[in-house]
Amino acid sequence: MQYEVEIEGRVRTVIVTRTGDGFAVRVDDHARIVDAVRIDAHVLSLLVGELWPTHDTGPADRGTDARRRLGPRTSYEVALSRAGSAQLIVSVGATPFTVTLNGRRRAKDVAGPAGAGPQRIVAPMPGKVIRVLVQAGDAVLARQPLVVVEAMKMENELRAARDGTVAAIHVKEGASVDAGAPLIDIT
Amino acid sequence: MKKILIANRGEIAVRIIRACREMGLSPISVYSECDRGALHVRYADEAYAIGPSAPRESYLHADALLDVARRSGADAVHPGYGFLAENQEFAAAVRAAGLTFIGPSPEAIALMGSKTAARAAAARAGVPVVPGTGEPLAPDAPDADVARIADEVGYPLLVKAVAGGGGKGMRTVTDRTELIGAVGAARSEARTAFGEAAVYFERQLVRPRHVEVQLLGDEHGTVVPFVERECSIQRRHQKVVEETPSLAVSPALRQAMTSAAAAVARSVGYTNAGTIEFLLDEDGRFYFLEMNTRLQVEHPITEMVTGIDLVRWQIRIARGERLDIDPEAVLAPNGHAIECRIYAEDPDNNFLPSPGRILQLRAPAGPGIRDDSGAGAGLDVPIFYDPMISKLVAWAENRPQALARMRRALDEYLVTGIRTTLPFFSWLLAQPAFIEGRFHTAYLDEELKARNGRPFTEARPEAEEIAAIAAAIHATMTGAAPASATGRWKVQARLDGLRTGARPVRGGSAGGIRL
Repeated sequence: MQYEVEIEGRVRTVIVTRTGDGFAVRVDDHARIVDAVRIDAHVLSLLVGELWPTHDTGPADRGTDARRRLGPRTSYEVALSRAGSAQLIVSVGATPFTVTLNGRRRAKDVAGPAGAGPQRIVAPMPGKVIRVLVQAGDAVLARQPLVVVEAMKMENELRAARDGTVAAIHVKEGASVDAGAPLIDIT
Repeated sequence: MKKILIANRGEIAVRIIRACREMGLSPISVYSECDRGALHVRYADEAYAIGPSAPRESYLHADALLDVARRSGADAVHPGYGFLAENQEFAAAVRAAGLTFIGPSPEAIALMGSKTAARAAAARAGVPVVPGTGEPLAPDAPDADVARIADEVGYPLLVKAVAGGGGKGMRTVTDRTELIGAVGAARSEARTAFGEAAVYFERQLVRPRHVEVQLLGDEHGTVVPFVERECSIQRRHQKVVEETPSLAVSPALRQAMTSAAAAVARSVGYTNAGTIEFLLDEDGRFYFLEMNTRLQVEHPITEMVTGIDLVRWQIRIARGERLDIDPEAVLAPNGHAIECRIYAEDPDNNFLPSPGRILQLRAPAGPGIRDDSGAGAGLDVPIFYDPMISKLVAWAENRPQALARMRRALDEYLVTGIRTTLPFFSWLLAQPAFIEGRFHTAYLDEELKARNGRPFTEARPEAEEIAAIAAAIHATMTGAAPASATGRWKVQARLDGLRTGARPVRGGSAGGIRL
């Protein structure tokens, strides 16, 4: 089973083959043996065994003496939840990743902290716009505060992810906004 | 006293329920719309809806709470912390309804709840106060007057809400240019948080520590102070880590601070649980900061090193019982305890709140670990309230061991579905200055500023590969599989799954996958 997995803006080819008691998995050219157990609807426990890649001479060799060529078996607990039609949020420990499986390539979240290009600052939660700190046309620096949204009894400064210019301001001070509402565009 | 109405939610409501259970009392909970499934509802004997999710219409709605007290036949009300805990009208209304308020008298709440009146009371009791204005600023004071008063206090200064608490309605001002904006912001936040916009100024001490003294007072004139708590690790004036005892407090200083705290409490006839907060400067001089007339969030660390159940004592005192704990023993800590306040906030995105559904939650346990939590898997962290999900406490024989336990517990703590401040605490507990106890109230904000948004969650390439593997295995296990065309694959995958017992479908590469 071959999957194209887009994760953190990179597409990786993952090949999964069922074996007797688990899965043989190849990510790009890195082969591993994985024992997977479903804990509940959202959670998988994985024991991931490295295969020593230099001695891997091909499929014929793999079946015969796999155990001896297994490296350490590392334990991971992974939580998966759906985010949109073709996207999963996959959390490995405390770190969540947005994963698209075989889906059409999605433009990276424009408000994301990394990468280049335009940014759209959106309300992270329902709240009230307390202050707009910039005007259209202003040059802004990375991490410069742009707008203050009050939610959960606290005033939260939303900042620019990268340097840029304020292209549009979509809200006025005092406005109530829903989660995801566009606030400011930066080019 | 048989039934106690708990006028609160979240971890503190659960904490009070536990004390009730241990005393053979029946806990009664209240809940807002979004809290129907919350732990404090499920743990209680009875639970009653009190209104919509907005605090003003539920947990701050005194009439609705008193109505539940009547309906349920409760004979006492425990307010917890936050919400109505320091509202003298509510305490008075509880009494007027013929019920016991588990806390200080309405008069004591009113007096110590006003920061300016409390400062005056401390000064009368002979305890030094932080230099600042004696009276609140007039709400209509012209900017020029505000600036003149600020000049008299001296910069840097703090603008603080008279009715304040929890760091809300507070602003630091380093020079005149920031003054008027900061006063406006503090007033607006104070009005939202406390319904009262009055603010005053306090001089900002140079690199002070925040050290506080827990007290219990009974209704027969006995006041007992406890070993101090160190709460200097603060972000934007909000405590995030507390520990006891403080590395900065010698036995002689402990004697002086706890005696001063008890003197202030006695001078105002204080009863039940309360905390006197001090600032401690680099020369070991301490200044009265304010009094919290309630149970504190961080009370568990005191419980861990003294063995005293503070909530149980709150209830016993409210029943009129006499304090019979050994005052010497509670000034001599057994070991060391530390607390991390775990928040549903994203430390990698400027600590923005991260509300939502918790998919998975496994709290740490084992030697010396206590987790006071109101959260659980399948529950939502609502947008309406403080986003604290748990107080993680570690106790050990000494501080290095307590820190080691806390690090171990942070590693064990597993929360997915929302972002939490767990990675931030793992970072903090590895900082040399923190480990050596070299910090003050501005330490954390300075460190965070220096980090300039660098993420706490290490982007390990290994974790990324594991996520890719997990997604692919999950798809293989659930039988959802790639197919040559979107739309058709779902049906095909389901049919194939039925036929072959969830075996994957073989096919092309352009489909989609769904959970």
